[in-house]
Amino acid sequence: MIRHRLVIVGAGPAGMAAAIAAADAGLEPVLIDENPRIGGQIYRQPPATLISKETEPTNRAARRGAELLRRFQVQSSRMTVLTNTRVWTIFGHRQLGVQGNQGRETIEAEQLILAPGAYEYVPPFPGWTLPGVMTPGGAQQMVKTMGVCPGKRVLIAGTGPFLLVVAEQLQKAGMEVVGVVEAITTAEAIRAFPRLLEHPTLLGEGLGYLNRLRRARVPINRGEVVVEARGDAEVREVVVAKCDPQWRGDPSGQRTFVVDTLAIAYGFVPRAQLPQLAGCRMRFVNELGGWIPETDGNQQTSVPGVWVAGDGGGVAGALVAEDEGTLAGLAASHQLGALDSATFERAQRPVVRRLHRLRRFRAVLDQLSRIRPGLTTIPTPDTIVCRCEELTQAEVETGIDFGGTDLRTLKVMTRLGMGACQGCMCWPAAARWIAARSGKSIEEIGPLSVRPPLGPLSVGDLARQEGISDRTPAVSLGSSEGAPT
Amino acid sequence: MSRLPDCIVVGGGVIGCAVTYELAKRSIPVLLVDQSLPGRATSASAGGLWPIGEAVGLGCGVIFHASNASSGSSANGQVHGPDALPAVFRDFLVRSNACFPELAAELQALSSIDIEYAPGAGLIFVIEAESQRAFVEHVTRSLPPSVDYEVLSPEAVARLEPNLSRDIVGGVLLSGEHQVNPMLLAEAFKRAAIKLGARFRPHLAVTGIRRQGDRVVGVEAGDEFLPGGAVVNAAGAWAAKLAATAGMELPVFPVRGQIVLTETMPQTLNACLSTSSCYLLQKAHGEVLIGSTTEHCGFDVGVTPEGIHSLCRGAVRTLPILSRVGIKRVWSGLRPGTSDELPILGPAGGLDGYFNATGGFRTGIVASPLTGRVVAEWVSGESPCCDREAFLADRFGPQFTGTRDTGSQDTGTQGRNAATSHNAAT
Repeated sequence: MIRHRLVIVGAGPAGMAAAIAAADAGLEPVLIDENPRIGGQIYRQPPATLISKETEPTNRAARRGAELLRRFQVQSSRMTVLTNTRVWTIFGHRQLGVQGNQGRETIEAEQLILAPGAYEYVPPFPGWTLPGVMTPGGAQQMVKTMGVCPGKRVLIAGTGPFLLVVAEQLQKAGMEVVGVVEAITTAEAIRAFPRLLEHPTLLGEGLGYLNRLRRARVPINRGEVVVEARGDAEVREVVVAKCDPQWRGDPSGQRTFVVDTLAIAYGFVPRAQLPQLAGCRMRFVNELGGWIPETDGNQQTSVPGVWVAGDGGGVAGALVAEDEGTLAGLAASHQLGALDSATFERAQRPVVRRLHRLRRFRAVLDQLSRIRPGLTTIPTPDTIVCRCEELTQAEVETGIDFGGTDLRTLKVMTRLGMGACQGCMCWPAAARWIAARSGKSIEEIGPLSVRPPLGPLSVGDLARQEGISDRTPAVSLGSSEGAPT
Repeated sequence: MSRLPDCIVVGGGVIGCAVTYELAKRSIPVLLVDQSLPGRATSASAGGLWPIGEAVGLGCGVIFHASNASSGSSANGQVHGPDALPAVFRDFLVRSNACFPELAAELQALSSIDIEYAPGAGLIFVIEAESQRAFVEHVTRSLPPSVDYEVLSPEAVARLEPNLSRDIVGGVLLSGEHQVNPMLLAEAFKRAAIKLGARFRPHLAVTGIRRQGDRVVGVEAGDEFLPGGAVVNAAGAWAAKLAATAGMELPVFPVRGQIVLTETMPQTLNACLSTSSCYLLQKAHGEVLIGSTTEHCGFDVGVTPEGIHSLCRGAVRTLPILSRVGIKRVWSGLRPGTSDELPILGPAGGLDGYFNATGGFRTGIVASPLTGRVVAEWVSGESPCCDREAFLADRFGPQFTGTRDTGSQDTGTQGRNAATSHNAAT
C-alpha cells in the first residue's frame, strides 16, 4: 500500500482547482483521472492534431477553462498526475483501490478530495436504444476529441443550457441542427428571467448562445418533449410532443423531425458512487440532480478528511465546480497543516463570497430545469428501460406491483440495475416509477447501493499482486461512465 | 388447541421468511418485520445447496483446509481430518435439502417467483495436490453409505469440467448437491407467506423485545409498540443484539464473507466447485460466483484488498479462463456464526413466547425449508417432525435454558472447538 497526504480524484475543473490550491499551499497532491487527458468533460484538451478553432466555443467560460489549464501547468511539477487510472473502489473511508497503467495499487489518502463529476440523465422513451440516439455530451466528445460528426442532421433535446452549447458546437462542426427541443415552457422561462438578472454576465452568456443559434437559423422550441425515436437499423425520425409544466406529452400536439442523430439528455446526475463507497451520508436533492453527499461550508462530507467538489456533489456547472474545488483544496491543506488559520481564512473569503452569488443564480436555473414527473409517463409497456438486463417497462412495473417498492427488492425481483452500468442508467427512472406507483418519496426509496468495481476490472487484475502491470484488459460489456451512445 | 397468539418474526432474511411462511401455512397470525440492514447473509450467499459438502467441510474447501492445517496430523502419519459437523445436523441438512424440488414448485405457484433451483452436475471438491488426497479419503470414508459420492481421476474431472486447469490431480463428486438463487428464495418465501395471510412491515427497525415477567408481550420499534404473544428472533448476525434487549445472552456473532461475481458468461461450469482457496459456481444468469472469506471482524460489511485478491487468485488458478473476464461486483455479508457451527433454534432463556431462529452460519439457505418448519412447530406447539434438541441454545450452558421436549432423549451435541481455526481468508 502507498500512502499520500492528499489525493484528488477527478481532473475536471473541481479537481484541477483543488490541486492548484494544494500545490500553492506547498503540498504535493496526487491527482487521479480515468481519462487519457485532464480537463474533465468540459475542458478536456483534444489531441494536438485535432485542435481546430471552429469547434472551440469562444465564450467567457472557455477562456476561464484556458486560464485554469494555464495555472495548472504552472503548478504541475509539484503534483503527481495519474491519467488513465481508475479508482474502482474505496476500502474503509480513504483507501483507494486503483487500477492503471502501473497495475493494481491500494493508495491510502490522509485527506481525500472527490471530484467525480456528473453524467447525463436520459430517461427511457420508445426507440431510445436505436443507434444514432446519444447524449449531447457524447456527441460533443465525438466532435471535440475524435474530430468526427456523429451524423449529418441532428435534433438536440432535453433540458438545460448545455443543449445550447452543444447545438452551437455541432453546428460549427458542420452538422445540420434541425432544432433544439427544450422541455421548459416559454412562460416558465419568462417568469424566471428577472431572477436570472442576479448574475448579468452569466445570463448574457446564455443569451449569446441563443442569439448565435438564431442567426444560424436553428429553431429553439420550448415546452416540448421527445416521445419517440423511430427507425429500423438506426434513428430516422423523432416524434416530439407539446408538454405541460409537469412534462407530460400531449398526444394531440405531435410533430416529426427527419434526422439521423438525436442528442438528448435532461440535465445531469451526480456521480455519487465514490462518496457512497467512502461512507458519506447522502441526501436527495432533485434540483441538484439526485443523491449527493452532505457537506459543511468547506465541502467536507460527513466523513472527516473526505471532501467533495464539483458536479459530483450536486450539479452546478464548471464555475461553481472550480470554486468548490479551490475551497476543498484550501480546507484540506489547512487540515494538513500546510496553511495556518489566518492564511486559510484570507484565501477562503473571496471564494466563498463568489460561490454564494453563483449559487443564487444556479438555484434559479436548477429550479427551472428540475426533473418533472411527466417524463415517467413517456415509455410504453414494451420500452426497454434497463439496457443491461433488457428489461421492459412492463416487467419493471410488475416487479413494483409485486412489492418491489424499494430499489433493493426491485433489483432482486427483476435484475434491474444488476448489469454492467450498476444501475447508473436506470435507477433515476426506476426510483421515480416506484415513487409514482407506491406514493413513497424518492428519499424513502433510497439510493441504489453501490457495489464495486466502478468501471471495467477483470478477475485477473485482482488476482495479480499489487504493482504488477502485466495486464490483460477486462472484457467488459460497458462502463459506468457516461450515457448511451 | 387453544387460541394461537399473534407471532412477530424479526428479520427478513431467508430464515425469517421461511419461518413466516411456515407459520402462515399453519394459519397462525404472523407479522414479519424487516429492517433491511446492509450485509445480511442471504444477500451475500452463493446459494449452494451442499448439505454433505458443508457437513464434512468439503462444501467450502477453505474450511476443510483450515481444519486440515490446524489438525496437525501428518507428523505420525495419522489422519484426523477436519471436524465434521454432528450427524444429527448432517441429517437435518440432507432432509432440508430434499425439500427443494417440491418447494420450488410450491413457491412458484404461490408467489410466481422462480427460485432458480438448478440441479447441475453436483459439487466437485477439487484435489489440487497429492498431499490433499489422504485427508479427502479420510473424509469420504467417514460418509454414511446413503451418500452418493464418486472419487474422480483428473481425466474424469476434465470430462465433467473442460474449462478447469489441467494442473489438478483429481476430485470428489457429490452428485446430489445443487444450487438456488438465495435472494429469490427469501423473496418467494415472503411473497408466498403474504399470499397466505402474513403481514409484512419493511424498513422497520425493531429496537427491543418487550417482556412482562417471564412472558413476551411484543416488540418495540422506536416509539411504536407491536403486540404479539410470540416473537421469533431471526435477526441473523444481529440476533444477539436483539436477544440482549430481552435481557438474554445469545452466543451468535457475525462472520464476514466476501464474494466476487463475474459478468455474464456463456456456459462455463456444469458443477459447483470447491477448492482450497475458494468455491466457484455459475448462476442461472451466467455469472460465475467466487466465494468466500471467513472473517471475524464485527459488523464491518466492507471488502478488503487482501480478501478479494485471494479469492480471485484461487479462482484463476482453478479456472484460468476467468483471468480476462470482467468483474460485475464484489461485496460481503455477515453470516450468523456460532462456536459449534450449528444453528440456534427454539425456546430459550425461560422466556415464554420467545423463539430463536438464527445461527445458520454457512448453511442457512439449504437449512431454511426445515428450519422454517421446525421453528413453526415450536411456536404452534405441534409435535416435532424431526430431531431438534441439538439446536437449543442451552447446549452452551444453563444460562441459555429453553424448554426441552419432555421425555425425549438429550442427544448431547458436543460443541466443536475448531471454530477459531476457521478464521481463514488466506
